[in-house]
Amino acid sequence: MSGLPTEQAKAATRAPLGLYVHVPFCASTCDFCAFYQTQPTAVGVGRFLDGIAQEAALVDWSEPVTTVFWGGGTPGLLAPRDLARLAATVRARCGGAPQEWTVELAPASVTEARLAALKEAGVTRASMGVQSFQPALLEALGRAHSREQIYRAYDRVRAAEFASVNLDLMFALPGQTEAEWAADVREAVALAPDHLSTYCLTFEEDTALWVKLSQGRVKLDPEHEARLYESTWAQLATAGYAQYEVSNFAHPGHACLHNLNTWRMHEWVGLGPSAASQHAGWRGANVADLDQWLARIGRGERVTEDRVALTSALRAEDALIFGLRMNAGVDLSAWRPRCPEAPWTAVEALLDRLAGDGLAQRDGGWVRLTDRGRLLADSVGSEVMAAFSTEAFVA
Amino acid sequence: MPAKLTRNFCIIAHVDHGKTTLSDRILEHTNTVAMRVMTDQHLDSMDLEKERGITIKSHPVTMTYPAKDGKIYKLNLMDTPGHVDFSYEVSRSLAACEGAVLLIDAAQGVEAQTVANAHLAFAQKLKVIPVINKIDLPSANLELCLKQLEDILTIPAEEAILASGKAGIGIEDILEAVVLRVPPPRWTEYPQARALVFDSLYDSYRGVIAYVRMFSGTIKAGDMMMLMSTGQRSEVKEVGVFMPKMTKIASLGAGDVGYIVSNVKDTSEIKTGDTITLAHKPATEMLPGYKEVRPMVFCGLYPVDTSDYEKLKAALGRLRLNDAAFVYSSESSVALGFGFRCGFLGLLHMEIIQERIRREHDVDIISTYPSVVYHVIKHGGVQIEVDNPVNLPDPGEIVEIREPTIKAAIHIPNDAMGDIMALVMEKRGTVDHTDTLDAARVMLTCILPLNEILVDFNDRLKSITHGYGSMDYELGEYRTSDLVKMEILVNNDPVDAFASIVHRDKAEGKGRALCEKLAEIIPPQMFKVAIQAAIGGKIIARDNVKEMRKDVTAKCYGGDISRKRKLLDKQKEGKKKMKQFGRVSIPSDAFIKVLKTN
Repeated sequence: MSGLPTEQAKAATRAPLGLYVHVPFCASTCDFCAFYQTQPTAVGVGRFLDGIAQEAALVDWSEPVTTVFWGGGTPGLLAPRDLARLAATVRARCGGAPQEWTVELAPASVTEARLAALKEAGVTRASMGVQSFQPALLEALGRAHSREQIYRAYDRVRAAEFASVNLDLMFALPGQTEAEWAADVREAVALAPDHLSTYCLTFEEDTALWVKLSQGRVKLDPEHEARLYESTWAQLATAGYAQYEVSNFAHPGHACLHNLNTWRMHEWVGLGPSAASQHAGWRGANVADLDQWLARIGRGERVTEDRVALTSALRAEDALIFGLRMNAGVDLSAWRPRCPEAPWTAVEALLDRLAGDGLAQRDGGWVRLTDRGRLLADSVGSEVMAAFSTEAFVA
Repeated sequence: MPAKLTRNFCIIAHVDHGKTTLSDRILEHTNTVAMRVMTDQHLDSMDLEKERGITIKSHPVTMTYPAKDGKIYKLNLMDTPGHVDFSYEVSRSLAACEGAVLLIDAAQGVEAQTVANAHLAFAQKLKVIPVINKIDLPSANLELCLKQLEDILTIPAEEAILASGKAGIGIEDILEAVVLRVPPPRWTEYPQARALVFDSLYDSYRGVIAYVRMFSGTIKAGDMMMLMSTGQRSEVKEVGVFMPKMTKIASLGAGDVGYIVSNVKDTSEIKTGDTITLAHKPATEMLPGYKEVRPMVFCGLYPVDTSDYEKLKAALGRLRLNDAAFVYSSESSVALGFGFRCGFLGLLHMEIIQERIRREHDVDIISTYPSVVYHVIKHGGVQIEVDNPVNLPDPGEIVEIREPTIKAAIHIPNDAMGDIMALVMEKRGTVDHTDTLDAARVMLTCILPLNEILVDFNDRLKSITHGYGSMDYELGEYRTSDLVKMEILVNNDPVDAFASIVHRDKAEGKGRALCEKLAEIIPPQMFKVAIQAAIGGKIIARDNVKEMRKDVTAKCYGGDISRKRKLLDKQKEGKKKMKQFGRVSIPSDAFIKVLKTN
């Protein structure tokens, strides 16, 4: 008897598993970026790749990986042979080709040789950090690429024929006008990527921009930001990009599966310094330092930071907090039976209140935020948290 | 020492005219305090007093002074509280003396409190010794001071002594004048023992310690004493004098100033102004001037953190032990939870108590809008007292509301006259008459409703006069007034902490200002929130809290989950610290901001 039909059935019902690899190398530091990164050296990269292989060996891979995401840092900065080596480590955990394999690229370091290595490895999705087409703003962000480099890199990426291409853009940059931002969006749309991520500038601690903010050299203007959000959403809808999350838009079939699975509170394994995992009953992150990470991996230790047990209530809570950021919203009817002990009465009361204020909509078992509600997703999230920390539930 | 060699006197002055420094020099001169233990401002022991340069509690001290006539005198110096809120305490301290040293700052001249204090001293029939202090200042204007002394206080200029507490000038002259001009103790021949209580102190080991001036007879440990206002008896445990530390002695005799420890445990049982006599042979008449002190200004005090309730309660209890004029009782507010209704002698008293709760007892508190005590006449002639707007009966039940007034003496530079008159008018006051103090200053005698001076009157006075204006007041009569209860509604729910009783003509302006302020202070909310002012259900002013437009972090990848949760958790905790009014979160300090700026 062939076991194939059973295997197929299993695959169809199997929960997705993501694999995130944090490649911590960047050529320079952007003023807005708080992700862990360091200067690439041949020795450093070699140790990193060894470490990834070592760390992967520590993971209990009882399920095959369904989506892969290489972020950073700048994964696209690795030499072709290093990319191939990293890919080999990853592929060994996938049990065949993953449904989606994303690699983040920076325009300044996109070469045909690298793209060929990625394509060869099985990468399906290229995500390029454009941020802006305006030279002055790029400079203000400390971004080390030119407008010409963006166009050249995009052409190369397209020529490599990945199944999906994304461009990252940033708005509400210091000094940026509404017209300038609209022009950036137009220019991106003209390139016809399959996916667009538009990120409102966030001032992260330990970044150069944060310093400027705390010195009062730049100012926050939530009203201006709200207007930019709204105009972006309108502009992209007209251009045929459907919004599926606060900052993400795609042509049909091009939404990022890896991220969707994250927001739906599925599981993923994170490898590399600072990488976060949600897997095998635990959530947490690796230490954000290459040497310390290597030392711990050497001792067989991973996911040592912010480590919490992954209870079904925590998952339900986060499925709401993060799910409500998505346009589709959350399927409550699916979460209720998975976590009957959650404080659903308080949650229902909150959702009804939000609906009453025009911030949320109920649709059968589903709940989603309206456009106005999505602009307040953090406030909504903190209220969800408050509902989950009601005394009756915690006790 | 025979009573005829005793002199009981006090020093009275306007704030900052150098009373404490001069007191210290006198103690030094009589070697009452050894030089090495001398610290500046010896008599003021509370930190807050030192900081504000005012004396809140009276501290008497007994000194020995060998006068130029070759005799050795016992001088009892009474230190008096320096503010109008404590005028009854002042009057009792004065009643314990036969003389008063009236200090006038040579550079400032006679000011509002100088006049008020001099009048209090005259009323107690004290011999007043005028002292022009700070004569070493370059800005000293002796001629003017002496002229004011005669013109305003009707004291002959030749009686004045020139001194400087700071430079130690004139100290001996003052002491000689006390010996020569202040009469020896009065009423010593009264057949029974009588002692005037002019203050009291709570000691956790010994209970209530009464500060007394003996007028006649003797009191010693073991005696059964009696408080004449209530007839309450108590055994005397200890008597003593202030050297300036409390020093036990065998007995207190006529003319002495000292203390009595008995087995009374509650400060409220020994009232300032009461007469202590001996139970087995009691006096038939009390010493004159006793009255029940009643709080004039009330407000609600609430812990910012509701878990501090017990801590606040303990703090109030301890403050009450040493301050019989301060009263409190439990109350609850929908807006603020459980707290206390507190009564004070006046605004300064209120401020001091609040400050002490914060500092000495480390409890963060919210204070509601202060209120005076209104007399409300209801149908059928029933009169009730209302000190909390929340308790004001339904308008239908009210025949009329009467409010307390004050008679204020306001000293100002001539050129501020127009602005101050306008301020008085704005505060519903009238100027009764105007007196010229000197070429540059006038004194306005005004009648003002007490509730109008509760919050910012003094600040405005100081600001208009660039700090040169001063005010003193005494309580006047109750007057009928067109008063209404104004409520503030947040998202259609009345917030009791913001309710106030105001004059009908001022309701709209005040309501608008309050709404505007609240709309500005309450952080943007996720939904539309109206702030309204209403009288009897009718909206008279309205404003809107800003609607929150954007509160979302753009990027949210897998690694962000934990970090993002921390951020949201912080936001949630921040909200928890706010007070919830229905669905609206208001930061605790919003109340303070609103109540302060009004």
